[in-house]
Amino acid sequence: MSPSHCLRRVGTGLCVALLSSSALSQAEIGLPVLVPVTGFLSLEGTSQRNGALLAIRNAPNSIKISAPVTDTGASPEGASTALERALARGKVTAVVASMLGPQMLAMMPIALENKVPLATVSGTADLTERKNPYVFRFFPGDATAKAAHVRYVVEDMQKKRIALVYQTTAYGQGGRAQIVEQLKKAGLAPVMEEALEVQVKDMSAVIGKVQQSNPDVVMLHLHGGPSALFLKQAAASRITVPIITGSALGQPSTAALLEPAELKNVCAETNAAPIASGNGPEMEEFTQKFRAEFKTEPDGFAVGQYDAVGMILDAVQKGATTPEAVTRYLSSGSYQGLAMKYKSDGKGNMAHSAIIICYDGNSRVPKIAKRYN
Amino acid sequence: MLQLLLNALALGASYALLALGFVLILNATSAVNFAHGDVVMLGGYTAIALHALLQWPGAFLLPLVLAVMALLGLVFSLGAYFPLKDRPPVSVFISTIALGIVFQNATNAIAGAEPRKGPALFGEGQVNFGNVAIGEQAMAIIGAAALLIAGQHLLFRYTGLGRRLRATAQDRQMAEAVGISVNRMIGLTFAIGAGLAGAAGLMLANTFFASPTDGSNYILKAYIAVTIGGWGNLYGAVCGAMFIALFEVLYPSLPILVPLLKSTTPWLFSQTMSSILLYVGLLAIMFFRPQGLFGEAIQKRV
Amino acid sequence: MKRLLSWLGIDVRAPLLAGAVGLAIWPFLFTSNYDLRVFTIVGIYAMLALGFQLIFGHAGALALTQGCFFGVGAYVTGILATRFGLSGELTLLLSALIPVLLAIVIAAPVLRLESHYFALATLGIGQVMLLIAIAWQDVTGGSNGLAGIPPMRLFGVEFGKGYGILGLVWVFVIAGAWASHRITRGLYGAALCVARENPVAAQSIGIDTSALRYATFLLSALYAGIAGAMYAHTVRVVSVEALEFPIMVACLTIAVVGGRTHIAGAILGAVLVVNLPEWFRDLEKTYLIAYGMALLAMIIIAPDGLIGLMQRLRTRWFGAPAPVLPQNAQRPAQNSNAGAAQTQTPPRDTRLARIPKGEPLLTIEGVTKRFGGLTALSSVSMQVHPGEIFGLIGPNGSGKTTLINIVSGAYTGDAGKVMLVGTPLSGQASFQIARSGVARTFQNVNLVDDLSVIDNVAVARFGAEQAALGDAFTPGRSGRAWHNARDCALRLLEAFDIQALADQPAGSLAYGIKRKVEIARALALDPMLLLLDEPAAGLNEAEQLDLAQRLRRFSDCGLSVLVIEHNMPFLMPLVDRVACLDRGEVIAMGLPEDVRNSTQVITAYLGAPDTGAAPPIRDAALAHTS
Repeated sequence: MSPSHCLRRVGTGLCVALLSSSALSQAEIGLPVLVPVTGFLSLEGTSQRNGALLAIRNAPNSIKISAPVTDTGASPEGASTALERALARGKVTAVVASMLGPQMLAMMPIALENKVPLATVSGTADLTERKNPYVFRFFPGDATAKAAHVRYVVEDMQKKRIALVYQTTAYGQGGRAQIVEQLKKAGLAPVMEEALEVQVKDMSAVIGKVQQSNPDVVMLHLHGGPSALFLKQAAASRITVPIITGSALGQPSTAALLEPAELKNVCAETNAAPIASGNGPEMEEFTQKFRAEFKTEPDGFAVGQYDAVGMILDAVQKGATTPEAVTRYLSSGSYQGLAMKYKSDGKGNMAHSAIIICYDGNSRVPKIAKRYN
Repeated sequence: MLQLLLNALALGASYALLALGFVLILNATSAVNFAHGDVVMLGGYTAIALHALLQWPGAFLLPLVLAVMALLGLVFSLGAYFPLKDRPPVSVFISTIALGIVFQNATNAIAGAEPRKGPALFGEGQVNFGNVAIGEQAMAIIGAAALLIAGQHLLFRYTGLGRRLRATAQDRQMAEAVGISVNRMIGLTFAIGAGLAGAAGLMLANTFFASPTDGSNYILKAYIAVTIGGWGNLYGAVCGAMFIALFEVLYPSLPILVPLLKSTTPWLFSQTMSSILLYVGLLAIMFFRPQGLFGEAIQKRV
Repeated sequence: MKRLLSWLGIDVRAPLLAGAVGLAIWPFLFTSNYDLRVFTIVGIYAMLALGFQLIFGHAGALALTQGCFFGVGAYVTGILATRFGLSGELTLLLSALIPVLLAIVIAAPVLRLESHYFALATLGIGQVMLLIAIAWQDVTGGSNGLAGIPPMRLFGVEFGKGYGILGLVWVFVIAGAWASHRITRGLYGAALCVARENPVAAQSIGIDTSALRYATFLLSALYAGIAGAMYAHTVRVVSVEALEFPIMVACLTIAVVGGRTHIAGAILGAVLVVNLPEWFRDLEKTYLIAYGMALLAMIIIAPDGLIGLMQRLRTRWFGAPAPVLPQNAQRPAQNSNAGAAQTQTPPRDTRLARIPKGEPLLTIEGVTKRFGGLTALSSVSMQVHPGEIFGLIGPNGSGKTTLINIVSGAYTGDAGKVMLVGTPLSGQASFQIARSGVARTFQNVNLVDDLSVIDNVAVARFGAEQAALGDAFTPGRSGRAWHNARDCALRLLEAFDIQALADQPAGSLAYGIKRKVEIARALALDPMLLLLDEPAAGLNEAEQLDLAQRLRRFSDCGLSVLVIEHNMPFLMPLVDRVACLDRGEVIAMGLPEDVRNSTQVITAYLGAPDTGAAPPIRDAALAHTS
């Protein structure tokens, strides 16, 4: 190799070094996305993923984000392994974490040990009761959400005879526990309760029992597919009482399965409904961008995760580039997201409002009927 | 009560459709096709994709779906069965589990995880008979199941092709010895079985929606139906399917039907309990009458 | 050096040794928390698969309860540790024992089912346990599960995250592998092999196949329970996913990919099955597709798993490993321990001496057997005396094999009784009948093709050597029993002049030789009565003469023989007395000449004289009988 060649190489190297040192004034963060994209929660997990990625892709240029997406599967061990992997692979500033309760519970001790914050949209009540300062949920916890669910039914609709149908999954059982507790506070108990597995397709027996108990309202806490099946079969069985569901119906894909007539007299409790009418212009913009990027409708989980990443990026912009700094910001700061204003209650619950959306039986686009804060 | 029976009948017809293709392949190859449920799911998604493309109603899409799925069945047999036909049956069990995983995840990757509704065969309305109502789609399913079962019966009993298929299923070596092209018959069996699965998938996709993970549930129902009815017995499988449906619908409904039971603890007649009891019942049948309700007790030749 | 090389070369030892060394240093090369965690999970699944290999690989039963036992073990630890605060030693013990108790409870109804029914029944049990776990929220936490399981603590020592729990898990894996190795060696292991490959033959040589299945089933539950407990302490959360089917699929995959009966296969399989998804994880949604395709490819290319594939390649490249014959091949009867057979004929004088003079050895009285609407045997009676060769003839479908099946216990008669001297045989299981001194051969030779000739015969000494599971752990016992068995087997092979073929796989032999091996195996039981079903079929004249001579010699020493034959030139000179069956009834019995000339016998075989009519077709095959 000739000396001039050598010199040229050194020169190029110096230039690169100079340029990259100016690039060092960029903030660099690691934000792995660990969500279930396979298995029975893949719908919700994909929403999380898409919401997070949209926020990341729209981040200001001054922040350089490394955001590998890793599937956590369906088991808790999958999630804890994924988190360890992310921690071993590079710098991690914060983590977008799976919304499945047991998976969060498996990841939390690891987050505590490594002092990295987990941002999730899981509603499972238990998460914030474990005195783990690294958990932040950007979705109303079951306590808040189900309180809203119950308040609407009891206060606004003035119903007293409540039939409750819930799923046997973590989501379902956790929600049911909260619903029953909130009803107790109002001095009520369900006149009928039934748990359904996700695979149950024919709901004749449950619907029959619901009818037999003569309720004036039905509360559902099922996943998307089963909710749609129930509503469809209930409409066919001529159930005329109002049906209030959980956030599953807030997922546009669920409503897409039903005819508008089957949605008459149906409302849902959720954190945000981006496609509903009655949202502001920012939500509209978000929905357009989401549709363009992922060719699918956004739901409440996507919005929640989008806001979560938004708050993290907000923290970074304000100078928090280490996990501890981000954690401190999340615990003490507040953030105006698309769905609501987020602020920690000290235990990691960031979201404190829920909305009720209702369908009028003429279209699949709901209206926002009530907001609880 | 009548309404519940009608619902159970429609559900039973759906399960019977699931079991038909399963039993056919079982008979021909003694191989348990663990991916059968996923093939049904693929049938549903094929119907949905074709509907999105062509906008035809379900009845017109049915022959297309049958053709596409028959082709898939053939390819499936080339991958999961033929390379393993001389090995112990558990190898095919595993190869079909593997392909089931592939089907599930490929569908999830391509179509996404959200449940989708398939096209109805004819209409989606309801027909009323007095104070009971039955959906048009439910009637279509019952009709289709009846037709397909009858068709299978006719094929196997009265046609030359059916005789050759039966011969291959009963004794492969002898069939080969009398000049039947055994491989072709087996391939054809897989094609027919997959076609039936596809038809089931198309119809179920409208009534019960389709999602990538449906397969595991469907295969369990088919397996149970076939075991209750008598391993390898077509009519037994259909009866097994009806039995499961009746149990699933009627048992949790007992508190409605029998007023006395209304005040018992809710978990006794819950949907979960009915699932548990179904399995317990299955175990009991296997213990007391392992050949199923309609099978023959065959003494092994020593 | 040469010895070292050849020792390494036997049985793919070199790569296995390299693999073991690799495993040992792996956790010190890859030290991040993630790598240690994955390695720990590999160990847990290896443990699970080792247990599964016992019931699935060795006993040949597809038990889909393995995942369920694992989940139960995990839940026992989870519940007892979080809700009751029990110590690590206690939770580990209970996690190991409660699945075994569950196995005992379900074994009775489930183990006797045939293959696919057994698989479905075990699947059903797994589903029931899953549903219970979901519904019984007060105890199991329902779908949310139990969190905050403390790290493992044994006798004051904490096995925490990282090397702690990793070390503990792999100690269990090594212990489990060693135990598995000991259990599947020797006479017990050979019996497992025969029971799996040919259960009917196994029963006929005195092996209680249900007891073997039962033992391996319980053992598999033990391994699974321990693996589950370790899982709970590693992941620190137990939820219903621990009981779900994907874990069973992973376990099955490991067994298939690694090799159903190879211990190294369980570990290699676990390494692959746990790591493949991790390696493919960058593919996001599609990694499971790659996993499924890899599994399919594996089952097609390597049916015996990777270890089996390695062994096959080794044989192809380096030739088969040299067989190890018993030491005392050339010196008869010198180093034999108590119970070993002597040179030419098996001694049975002590048992024979107990038979009162004139009493028959075998009494068949009024035996009737029906298959559905067909009566295969109708009130058949006969007697066989000690030292007698008794022939049984009759047209096809007359019930000869059915009669032998009833005597040997393969079938149960509908009426009548069978007595061996004073003891009734009817109602006993065929392995018990075999052990009490009745040996048999089959119409279609029932040897285990993959086992060597000497092993096929040696395994019949299972009952005589009183081989049991405990042998695996009694120092020396297992080796001695196997050595004795093979000694005896070799001597029997010498009696038939086929000792040169001792190490050949039985499946590769000529038909006539297989026959001899089967008879030798029957004789290894040291029987008083030998039941032969068409032994001359497929033998040429010289072989037939040879066989007749040997049988004569055996009976001279006290062995009674009941022979079914169609070959009259072979049979008639051989037998002392003969009976003829036709359509399930005895139509003639007595001295050979008398029976041969009896008109009824001639009519039965050839049709009525002078009618010119073809004999009626007695096709019992149509009615699923023999």
